[in-house]
Amino acid sequence: MSGVARGTVNAAGRLVAADPALATLHARAGGNADTPLAVVPLASIARLARRLGVVVSRPVTVADEEADVELWVRAQPVGDEVRLAVSGWRAQQPWPGPRGDDPVELEGWRWECDAALRLTHLALGAAARSGSEVSDLLGQPVTALFTLEADDAGGLPLIDALAQRVALRGQRARVRSGGKPVILEARVRRDAAGSFAGFVGTARAVDEAPPPAPPLSEAFTQGLDRALRRPLARIVANADSIHGQADGPIAPDYADYAADIAGAGRHLLSLIDDLADLQAIERADFNVPAEPIDLADLARRAAGLLSVRADNAGVTVLRPPLGATASAQGDFRRVLQILVNLVGNAIRYAPQGSAVAIELGETEGRRTVTVIDGGKGIAAEDAERVFEKFERVDPAEPGGSGLGLYIARRLARAMGGDLTLVSAPGRGARFTLALPAG
Amino acid sequence: MRALLDHLLTGMVGEIEERLREDASRMLVSRGDRAGAAQLRQGGQSAAERLERAGLLANEALLAELFARLRQDLIAERLPVRAEDDEPSLLPRLAQVGDPAVAAAARGLLVAESRRREALAMGDVTASDLPAELHQQLVWRVAAALRNGDTSADRALVEAAGRILATYDEGERADAQAMRLAFAIDARPQELPALLDEAIGDRRLSLVFAALALSAQVPFEVVRSLAVEPDDERWWLLLRAVDLDPLTMARLALALASADPRRGDQDLPTLLDAANAVSAEEARAELAVLRLPPDFRAAVDALGSGEAA
Repeated sequence: MSGVARGTVNAAGRLVAADPALATLHARAGGNADTPLAVVPLASIARLARRLGVVVSRPVTVADEEADVELWVRAQPVGDEVRLAVSGWRAQQPWPGPRGDDPVELEGWRWECDAALRLTHLALGAAARSGSEVSDLLGQPVTALFTLEADDAGGLPLIDALAQRVALRGQRARVRSGGKPVILEARVRRDAAGSFAGFVGTARAVDEAPPPAPPLSEAFTQGLDRALRRPLARIVANADSIHGQADGPIAPDYADYAADIAGAGRHLLSLIDDLADLQAIERADFNVPAEPIDLADLARRAAGLLSVRADNAGVTVLRPPLGATASAQGDFRRVLQILVNLVGNAIRYAPQGSAVAIELGETEGRRTVTVIDGGKGIAAEDAERVFEKFERVDPAEPGGSGLGLYIARRLARAMGGDLTLVSAPGRGARFTLALPAG
Repeated sequence: MRALLDHLLTGMVGEIEERLREDASRMLVSRGDRAGAAQLRQGGQSAAERLERAGLLANEALLAELFARLRQDLIAERLPVRAEDDEPSLLPRLAQVGDPAVAAAARGLLVAESRRREALAMGDVTASDLPAELHQQLVWRVAAALRNGDTSADRALVEAAGRILATYDEGERADAQAMRLAFAIDARPQELPALLDEAIGDRRLSLVFAALALSAQVPFEVVRSLAVEPDDERWWLLLRAVDLDPLTMARLALALASADPRRGDQDLPTLLDAANAVSAEEARAELAVLRLPPDFRAAVDALGSGEAA
C-alpha cells in the first residue's frame, strides 16, 4: 500500500484527471466527472493552495469502508489548476501495532534527530545525569552521543529503522562519555508531505542484564477485557458525539481530535476482541455455532471491504461472479473474519499490477474457497510455521502481528473445516478454507 | 494554558528555592551553625505556596512574559517540519559552517531551545530563561519567602541569592541566542525570505522572530507578541514592513495556521490580500511606534492614561 496517486483539480474544483486510487476515493465519496472533488478535506486543501498560490502539504484522514485512512496530501497550484499528489494510504493504527511508524512507548530521557541523524534536541539535564557532557553534541550525529550495540541477530535496529523509515525499538546502546547502558526507542517524525524527517526518541537506562518480561497470563487478559471494554466504549461514544458536535459547534481542530480519539478507541476495542478471540479459541471446549452460509457471498463481501486497499496497492481482486453460490455450514461473522484476513494478506504480498484470485470449489464433501496471490510465495518448510502463534514468514515485512492466521485456522477447525496452504517460493501462495457443505 | 503556566512558574520557583536552600545552608554549616542550616534546608513551607498566598508569585510583567513564551513554545512544538532528502536540518547545518560566530550561535540556540523544551515538557527546569530584571525580582522574592526570622539565615540567603544572580547570564536565554544567531547570519533583504522559510520549516520559531526583529528594527518581544496572537493585524504589517513577498508571507501564515488551533486557514487568502495591498513604507510608518524603546513606550502609555484619568 504505497505509492503516490496523482490528480488534477481544475479552476471549478472538479477532479479532471486522477490515478485510480484517487478516482476511487472520489467516487466512494459520491463524486463523478461532473461534480466538484467530493473528498472534502482534499477539496479544501486544493482550494487553499489555489487561492494562496503556494504549495500546501498536510496529512488528512478520510473515511474508508474498513478503517480511517491517513493520507499525505500535497497540493501544488499550476496556473488555474491544482496538482494533487496523495500518498500514505495506510489504515490508521493509533495503538502501537506492527507498523513501524506507530507511536512507541517512550520512557526515559528524550533525544531527537533530523533526517540526517543529527541531534536536534536533548534532555540536557537528564542526559548529563546519565554521565554525559552533552551540550556540545547537539548538531552532531546520534552516534556521537551513543555507541550502538548489535542485537542478538547481529543487526543494528537503528540502521534497520532508518532504512525502512519505521519506529525504532529496542536498540541497545551505551552513552559514549559515561559508558552507561541504555535502550533507545523512537518514533518517526514525518514532514508535511509524509517524508521521513527524523526520529523522536528516548534513552532508557537499563541494568546490565534486564529480567525477561513475564508472559501474558489468562487472568490478565480477562481483567484487561473487563476493565477496558466499558470505559473504552464510553470514550468512543463521547468522542463521537463531540466529533458530531452534538452539543453545538466547536473548533474544527477539536472536532478532528475527537474523531482521532474515537478512532483510537475503536482500534483498542478491536485489539481486545483479538485477545478475547485468542483466549477463547485456546480453550478445550471452544466451539462455533454452525448455520447455513454462502461462501461465495462472503468472499465477495471480503473483497468489497478491501477494495480501496487493493486499488491503492495496484492489485485487482478477482471475486466470485455475482450469480455464484457455495452453501456451507459455519458462523457468518467468523468466516468473514477469516476471509478478510486471507484476502488482506494476499493484497499485502501481491506485486503491484497483479491479481488476487478467489476460487470456489468442492472436495470430499466440503466447500472450499481458495485465495491465490502472485506474491513471492512461501517455502515448503515454512508452510506450517505461518499458522503458529506469533510466527511470520518474514519478520522484516511490515504489517501483520503473527496472530491472524493462527486465529483463522483455529476458527476454521472449530467449525469442522480447515485452513491449508499450498505454496512454493516464487509461485505465490494458495490459502484454502474448507467448510462442511451446507 | 493556565495550568501549563502554573506548572512552569512553580518549576522555576522550585529550582531557585532548591539552590537557595542548598547554598545558604552550606554557608551556615561553614560558619558552624549546623542547627540553622538544618532548619533552612528542610524547614517551613515551600516558597511557591508562601508567595502564592501573598499574591506575589507573579506580577503582570512576569505573567505577560511567560504567557507569550508559552504560546511561542506551544506553536513551535506543533509547526509542521519540512525535511530535505536526508539532509541535516537548519541548525545542525549552521553549527558546522566555517563562520565561527554563526556556528557558535547555532550551537547556543540548540542548547537553549533544548533546555526550554525540557522545562515545558518534563518540568525539568534548569534555568528560568527570563530576562535579567524579571529573574532578579523572582530570586529575591523566593529568598524573602524562605526567611525564618533568624538574622544569620538572612545573611546566608542574601549571599546565596547574590551568587545565583551573579552566575545568571541573560545572554544564554533562547531568545537571546536566537537574536545572536540572526545577527551573525545578518541576512540581506533579498536573503530574508529564504532564511524565514528554512527557519519555519525547521520549527525554529525563535529564529523566525529574531530575523524579523532584526530586519524590522523592533525588539524580539514585540515580534513575538504580535505573532502569537491569532488576530493582531500588526503582525501582517510587520511582514509588509520588511517587504516580504506574498509567497513567503503565505508560507509563514500557513505554517502558523497549521500549528495554532486558534487560527483558521480558510480566511488566510483574504487576510493576505489585504496585507499585500499595504506598501512597505505605509507598513513601516504604521509600526514606527513599535520601534521606540519599550521603557519609553511604557512611559508614554502611562502618561497618556494618567492624563486621561
